[in-house]
Amino acid sequence: MARTERADDAITEATQPAGVEPSADGRARHAIVLADPRERWRPSPIGVIARLAVIAFYILLVIAIPHLIPGTLVNVAARAAVFAIVAVSMNVLMGYAGQVSLGHQAFVGVGAFTSAYFLSEAGMPYPFALAASLATGAGAALVLGMVALRVRGLYLALITIAYGLFAKEVIFNIRSLTGGGAGLRAPRPGVFDSDIAYVYFCAAVLGLILVFDWRLTATKAGRAIEALRDDERVASSWGINVTAYKLLAFVISGSIAGLAGALFAGIEQVVSPIDFDFTLALTFVLMTVVGGLGNRWGVIQGGIFFAILPTLLEKGHSNWHFFPFTQLNAQWEPLIGALLLILTLVQFPGGIAQQQEHLLRWLRFQPFRADPVVDPALAGRKRKRGAGPSGQASGLAGPDVPGLADARPSERGTDG
Amino acid sequence: MVHDDEATEAVEIGAGADGADDGRGLGAVGAGRDFLASLADRLREGDRSPWGIGTAVVGGVVVLWSIFAADIKIARWLIAGLESGAVYSLIALGIALVYKSTRVLNYAQGELGTVPAFLAYALMVSFRWSDQDVINHPPDASRLWWATIVAVVVGAGLAVVINTFLVQRLAQASPVTSLVATAGAALLFISAEVVIFEAKAREFPRYVSGDAFSIAGEPVRWNTVLILLVLAGAVVVLATFFRTRAGVALLATAQEPFAAELSGVSVRAMSTLAWAGGGALAAIGGLLATMVFGNLRPGLVTSQYLTFALVAAVLGGLTSMVGAVVGGLLLGLVTVYANLLITGLGWDVPGPPQIAMLTVALVVLLVRPRGLFGKEA
Repeated sequence: MARTERADDAITEATQPAGVEPSADGRARHAIVLADPRERWRPSPIGVIARLAVIAFYILLVIAIPHLIPGTLVNVAARAAVFAIVAVSMNVLMGYAGQVSLGHQAFVGVGAFTSAYFLSEAGMPYPFALAASLATGAGAALVLGMVALRVRGLYLALITIAYGLFAKEVIFNIRSLTGGGAGLRAPRPGVFDSDIAYVYFCAAVLGLILVFDWRLTATKAGRAIEALRDDERVASSWGINVTAYKLLAFVISGSIAGLAGALFAGIEQVVSPIDFDFTLALTFVLMTVVGGLGNRWGVIQGGIFFAILPTLLEKGHSNWHFFPFTQLNAQWEPLIGALLLILTLVQFPGGIAQQQEHLLRWLRFQPFRADPVVDPALAGRKRKRGAGPSGQASGLAGPDVPGLADARPSERGTDG
Repeated sequence: MVHDDEATEAVEIGAGADGADDGRGLGAVGAGRDFLASLADRLREGDRSPWGIGTAVVGGVVVLWSIFAADIKIARWLIAGLESGAVYSLIALGIALVYKSTRVLNYAQGELGTVPAFLAYALMVSFRWSDQDVINHPPDASRLWWATIVAVVVGAGLAVVINTFLVQRLAQASPVTSLVATAGAALLFISAEVVIFEAKAREFPRYVSGDAFSIAGEPVRWNTVLILLVLAGAVVVLATFFRTRAGVALLATAQEPFAAELSGVSVRAMSTLAWAGGGALAAIGGLLATMVFGNLRPGLVTSQYLTFALVAAVLGGLTSMVGAVVGGLLLGLVTVYANLLITGLGWDVPGPPQIAMLTVALVVLLVRPRGLFGKEA
């Protein structure tokens, strides 16, 4: 759809050159205004202040949250940050590269056990353990990426399922490395030993990952990865090294997941194989899809939502004595998640990001509405093109496109 | 009979090679002969490549050596391997049937087995399943037979519901999106089971108990015999079905939906039919899988059997029914062999079946993505 719009603008510019005199009915002038609305548009001073205020509010909220919630729930905030990091990692693979992963708990688990092993068995300093889990996560993903070079689509999804089960039953049960069923102790870094400090630590890592993710999509590597998602053959005809960039996407995703694993291990300060069941992988998939594939703010919210949902249901069940909370408890979490996933896929392929399209655009110092169309005649024409902001009729869902290219909003690229 | 002849002809003329081959390949009479013939073909094909011979010789020597080194009792290996293999086969058959007709890899296939099994359980305890009730009134095994019929019907119905309200809604989406959607359905079922029946194992009666006979000193349970018989029955029923008019229409739809639609076949009805068949197979597979260890817990089939069944279906070639059966039995033999080998050698390696499963999946997809009997990758 983005391409259609650009073509529209090009046509408008071609038929109405910039130096044209405004005609009697004023159409030409409007057409020029329309030529590139995003470039010319600036928020008013009040608009700038309002946006800055909202952004500042969110930042303050993140800083204040660990102090606002009861002490027993602080770990849930850390869990939310870790899930958000995993969501970014899933997003690199599924959203940007279009490669599905139904075994992502394997990478998270590898990172968790690596960090726990180096900290409690080998007695290494924390930064080393963190770097090691990043490296092992990347290594595990590289292996899977090499398989993905040969095998794609459904077959790749199948391999990731098998890989996840293999990791849980085999790798995480090697007693000398992972402590088997009893698990391994995973101490926190000395400075961040308290629960609240650990939340800030996880949030800081999330911030770093977000900056990295932003720079990734803003540079050549990110654009190349997104290009090969849309069509590998076209991408390679543009001179993009498909093999290298596909592997790069896997390695980036795996290393972020490994890092998230190291942080995950520190939440309960113990890791055991039972934590990395296939339902965890499904949770990772559905929080990414429900968040909105390809949109980092959407998937982060998806991650946070699914991290706190069980606690939310449990607390609601014990504190609020009215329907629906009398019926719901933490056991309902996957059920609600699955319903949300199905609803997202069938009804709102863009997920949370699609729902918040206006808000997210506004926070990027752009107008609240998508297209400030001045000319009603053009407005009618524009609406007919494509399928609107939801991108439901995106033409990318051909059988050749691996991954989930069809289930993402077409506005994805305007992010960051 | 006239009907059948017409149908067979229609396959050969209308549906072309793919349909014809499957129709005959699963024929009740010709199944064994055709399979042997195609196996012979494959062996002859392999003869030309020195790699094939080399791999076969080295593999054979390694297997023979390991059987002696790990002291594997062949009878035990075959019995256990065929038992779990038959369960993989039953689930893989449903996966292949659904994939063949709608090109959707159904991750909910396992839960389409567990949910009916839970329903059968609920019927046997008269819908009172709290701890105290179950102690006072254990599951009534005499109701198992009619509970089975209800379970199979419900399994088929659930599959049709998934197809109508989820898969068909995503008809334009990529296959991977459909897979994720069915995974969502599986998660939905698992959590519904957890909410209703709690996350614990429940004792489940068997149709038949005790040992049937013994081979070389290894007892064979009646349950194992039953599972193999049910698998054989399912194969015969499917083979017969593919000779009927509806079966031929299904094969034609699988091959070329547009052409089938032009010849007056309702593609939508065919996909409903295929999903109903897949659901019924899943229900039967789920009940039998529950009886292997005699207890039932939420997500049982998905966590214990589904990944293996998916790999088995790919090993046999996703679009092939014969492949699903052969792939399941082969995978069962391979995983049990891995288990016996590693315990026999006394190695401390966790999860030998999972190692074997991932190895098989990787080898098949990297070397021969269309599987043993598949027509396409």
